Amino acid sequence: MRKKKIIAVLLVLTMVLSLAACNKRTAGGTGSSGESGGNKETIRLLGYSYYESTMNILRDQLSKAGFEVEINMQPDYASMVTARDTGEWDLAMSGWTTVTGNPDYAVRDVYASYGQYNPGGINDPKIDELIDKASAETPAEYGATYKELEDYAITENVYSIPLYANRGIRAINNTVVDESTVHNPQSRSAFWEQYSYVDPSQNDTRTLMLTQTMGDLTSLDPIQANDGSINQLSANLNVRIVNMTDDDQIVPDGSLSRNISIGEGNNVFYFILRDDVFFSKVENKHVVATDVRVGAEDVEFSLKRAADEKSVANHKTYNLHNHMSDVSIVTDIEELKGINDSDTGKPVFDTLSKELPSEIKTLTANKNEVDNANGVYQVVKISTENAFPQVLYYLAHQSAGILNKEAVTEMNSKFDVASYDPTKDICYGDPAAIKSGNNHLWMSGPYALVSYDDYQVTFEKNPGYMAGTENEARIKNIAIKFIKDTTSATSDFRAGGVDILDSVDTNDVATLQEDSNYTVYVYIRHATTYCDINMTNGNKFENLDLRKAVFYAINQDEFVAYNNDLVGPLYSSASTLIDTGNVHEFSLEKSAEHLAAYQKSK
Amino acid sequence: MAKNAQTKNESLYLKKVNKRKLGGSLEFTTSRLAFQVTGVLALLLVLWQVLLPLVKGEEISTVIGIITAIYGLEFLVQFIIVKKIEKEITGTAGEISNITRKMGILLLPSVVTGNFLVFIAGAMLLKKEKNLEYQLAVYSLLVNIFVILISLFNLFKDTIVYTFWTGIGFYALYAVLNLVVIAAVSKYTFGKKPDKKFLPFAVICLLGIALGNVFSFMLGLIALGKYFNKNEEVSVEWIDVIKRLFRNYTAVIGMFFVVLFISISIGSNLTFDYDIAISNNFAARLAKPSLMYPFGCDDYGRCVFTRIIFGASISLIIGIISTIVPIIIGGLLGAMAGFYGGRKDNVIMRVLDVLHAVPSILLAIAIIAAFGVSTINLILALSVSMIPSYARTVRAQVMGISNQEFVEAAKACGAKNGTIIFKHIIPNSLAPVIVQATMGIGSAVLSTSSLSYLGIGVEAHVPEWGNVLKAGSTFLETNPYIAIFPGIAIIIIVLAFNFFGDGLRDALDPKLK
Repeated sequence: MRKKKIIAVLLVLTMVLSLAACNKRTAGGTGSSGESGGNKETIRLLGYSYYESTMNILRDQLSKAGFEVEINMQPDYASMVTARDTGEWDLAMSGWTTVTGNPDYAVRDVYASYGQYNPGGINDPKIDELIDKASAETPAEYGATYKELEDYAITENVYSIPLYANRGIRAINNTVVDESTVHNPQSRSAFWEQYSYVDPSQNDTRTLMLTQTMGDLTSLDPIQANDGSINQLSANLNVRIVNMTDDDQIVPDGSLSRNISIGEGNNVFYFILRDDVFFSKVENKHVVATDVRVGAEDVEFSLKRAADEKSVANHKTYNLHNHMSDVSIVTDIEELKGINDSDTGKPVFDTLSKELPSEIKTLTANKNEVDNANGVYQVVKISTENAFPQVLYYLAHQSAGILNKEAVTEMNSKFDVASYDPTKDICYGDPAAIKSGNNHLWMSGPYALVSYDDYQVTFEKNPGYMAGTENEARIKNIAIKFIKDTTSATSDFRAGGVDILDSVDTNDVATLQEDSNYTVYVYIRHATTYCDINMTNGNKFENLDLRKAVFYAINQDEFVAYNNDLVGPLYSSASTLIDTGNVHEFSLEKSAEHLAAYQKSK
Repeated sequence: MAKNAQTKNESLYLKKVNKRKLGGSLEFTTSRLAFQVTGVLALLLVLWQVLLPLVKGEEISTVIGIITAIYGLEFLVQFIIVKKIEKEITGTAGEISNITRKMGILLLPSVVTGNFLVFIAGAMLLKKEKNLEYQLAVYSLLVNIFVILISLFNLFKDTIVYTFWTGIGFYALYAVLNLVVIAAVSKYTFGKKPDKKFLPFAVICLLGIALGNVFSFMLGLIALGKYFNKNEEVSVEWIDVIKRLFRNYTAVIGMFFVVLFISISIGSNLTFDYDIAISNNFAARLAKPSLMYPFGCDDYGRCVFTRIIFGASISLIIGIISTIVPIIIGGLLGAMAGFYGGRKDNVIMRVLDVLHAVPSILLAIAIIAAFGVSTINLILALSVSMIPSYARTVRAQVMGISNQEFVEAAKACGAKNGTIIFKHIIPNSLAPVIVQATMGIGSAVLSTSSLSYLGIGVEAHVPEWGNVLKAGSTFLETNPYIAIFPGIAIIIIVLAFNFFGDGLRDALDPKLK
């Protein structure tokens, strides 16, 4: 009896021992991984699950260049930020999307010493200087400055490691949605008012289903959030005073302005407003027209609070709007005639008068008196401290959405902003309040948010938005489903649960393209993926040679190959906007040289 | 009428007798399973690789064509042999003729095509007298040949690891030694006690454990155990257990796979290139199965075949360690609870009940979420959730045993509690734990893979089976083979452990003695 048990135990033990022995490799591989003196440099690579494939490729490339890579993969972005704050990392995955389409936005928060998205601690006065210099220049001039910036920050100093430029990929079910009504803007969020069904009679009855991954909305106050959870929503809920075309040209079309004019000196901007946009609000989970016009008073109010750091407790977009020194309503026609347009050289008045329904007779500061058909208009003037032509891009951003002065004031006057307590105070746009049924939003855009729960947000068309024009929304009901991962979203799309898929995984594109019922759009989008380098607190990456060793070890072609040619090469976060001619070089020899130099200097 | 009924009864009786006769013949059972499985495989191959391409208008690959033809041939030969065996056993002679036995030679080469069932059938048919040692030697040889065959696939790759031929050499040498052992087994081991001349061979057999060959190790142990057994009239008990285990063919096949996986995970260190398993090669991204990449390549261009081979060792190590840890902890707690009873029992078991009430996978996820993704944490997470079930098993056993006379006798002799627990009770209550553990390894492998699949097991680039499967799940529609093969590997290992565990339970069952 006893021996029987012993042999059984022995059996199990031998299995374990033999396995434990096999865990150790007695022999090396083919020797492809370069071994530099046996003492490998360790790199702590931080990221989260979204970047899994990118991190895997990176790990592979760095280990082929002779580094030892320790991967720290967090489940989501918030956990990664927490881990990043501890400083226990060398390289961190990062992505930057230039949602405004202008190069200043692409570089300022990333490379400037005060940048909001500069966790690596880039602190170089020359960079700050170059960013400020370029911001005051016109598009014709700033190309050279941005190239100088790129040469300095990336080529010479390797302050970040470029990986690849993302593309936008959108798929639609072409048996449901009319292909000719789909737009694929490079920078701005998708806009819904143009969408129409193949069968237009469905526009009034069928709900258009969209999807997004982030289901926790940050805030519906445009200036209190600037992230993927609300960008598309906010852009369709609130109208702005300028608009961007699909290829990032600033135009008045589809915005609250009829015409725009930049005054001489590039530091005053004039906007003549439409009179056919009215606020909508929600009662009993359905949209209600308020007949309250969106006027210059609301523009003045909204933009002034955007430029005021202390207007709300969580101002997330202050860096975008702090360039505005003043916003005012122009009532004197003579002022418009006395200043010339910077493009045409003729008076601003002429530029603003183009193709109006009637000639400008009077300007008013009271939106209730406005009557465009009879020549009564409103004009808003924005001034910037210095010449800053790129301010228009920021005015097209969702955070410059126009809100109703009374609605916001009513909500935000109930507490003191300085001592705002999110647990008990309800500020304008608080998503938790909206979820629980307190929908206090007044919306100036083509759609109104009528309900929001854990699974989806539902929208109805704003009846008072440019009725009768081509910008009037066509589909009456729209809903966004929250689906956490892109693979499930794709499955739902194919099952018919979603009509438009705004971001498609690069691995799903081929499958969708095979089906004639789906149209897949691959378009340029100003989104980039790169690595931040931890150069703070005496981390070893303060050493330039080590940074260069990593820089040259990266082979961007592999990222392109992995993503089926659906991503492109990258040099800096402004690469998609400005062609500087810089191309990243992959060279294991140079990497080894710099690594050796670093190890010698140690 | 009455006569008719009588003949009917007689034929029914005859049928039953024949069935029993056939069932008792190892030659028949092995051959029957061999022809059935080969037949199904051949049919599948014809349908999937020949007819399907024909319908689609694609070209049939010559390699696949040849393999299909060979399998068809194996099926035919095996079928004829089965019919012959059946006829001869149920016939007047009542036993298999020498000519039929000689035909077994025809079946042996099938091992080259990976058809081990036909090989076993052939080996069992060839020899009339088969003892446990002979069977073990045959299985040991089979494992060796399989490891060599699997390793040889690397020859189709661009590069081979520089220790490749050393590894193949080891296994080839051992295979040759194994053949010698088979001859020696036939010559020396058919008495009650093996001949003294067999002892060197027994030592060779013991060395097989270095290559992971548990079969040959067992053979060596049995030979030594028998040799050093003082009383020839009493058989050694643990050898009887193994004997009973080998009467159950499914259990042996389960064991064969387990041993094969252990053996290949040791052999792969020499013959397989770990670089191919983890380093990316975008030239081969999503490559279809070919001789160079037998199971295709995943989205990073890594050879799925190589990844599965290296995954075997990772899965087995995690599975086995995370089974042993709870056995030790749970066993101790259970033994204490069962032996002392009363308040101690209550406290220990209620705490464990609380642990048991938490779904094991949820507990594992919680532990990993708290401590981070790493192999050690994974083992910890899986172990903790297994503790209560082992504790319960041991406690039940201990409670039964501690009331028996020999324990009372020990107490009466003044033995300390510790001595009683460790010397008398635990050894006597191990049997069900061993069975549970064998099956537990299977489910631990499964849990590991599930957690990796969810992205919270081992790191994504490590070729753990769940990770390999996960990489394939995205391409289920376009490149299904990336997910199918690791899936099959997981199924095989879990089934193998379950079959083995089932057989072990039967073999350890005291009622069957």
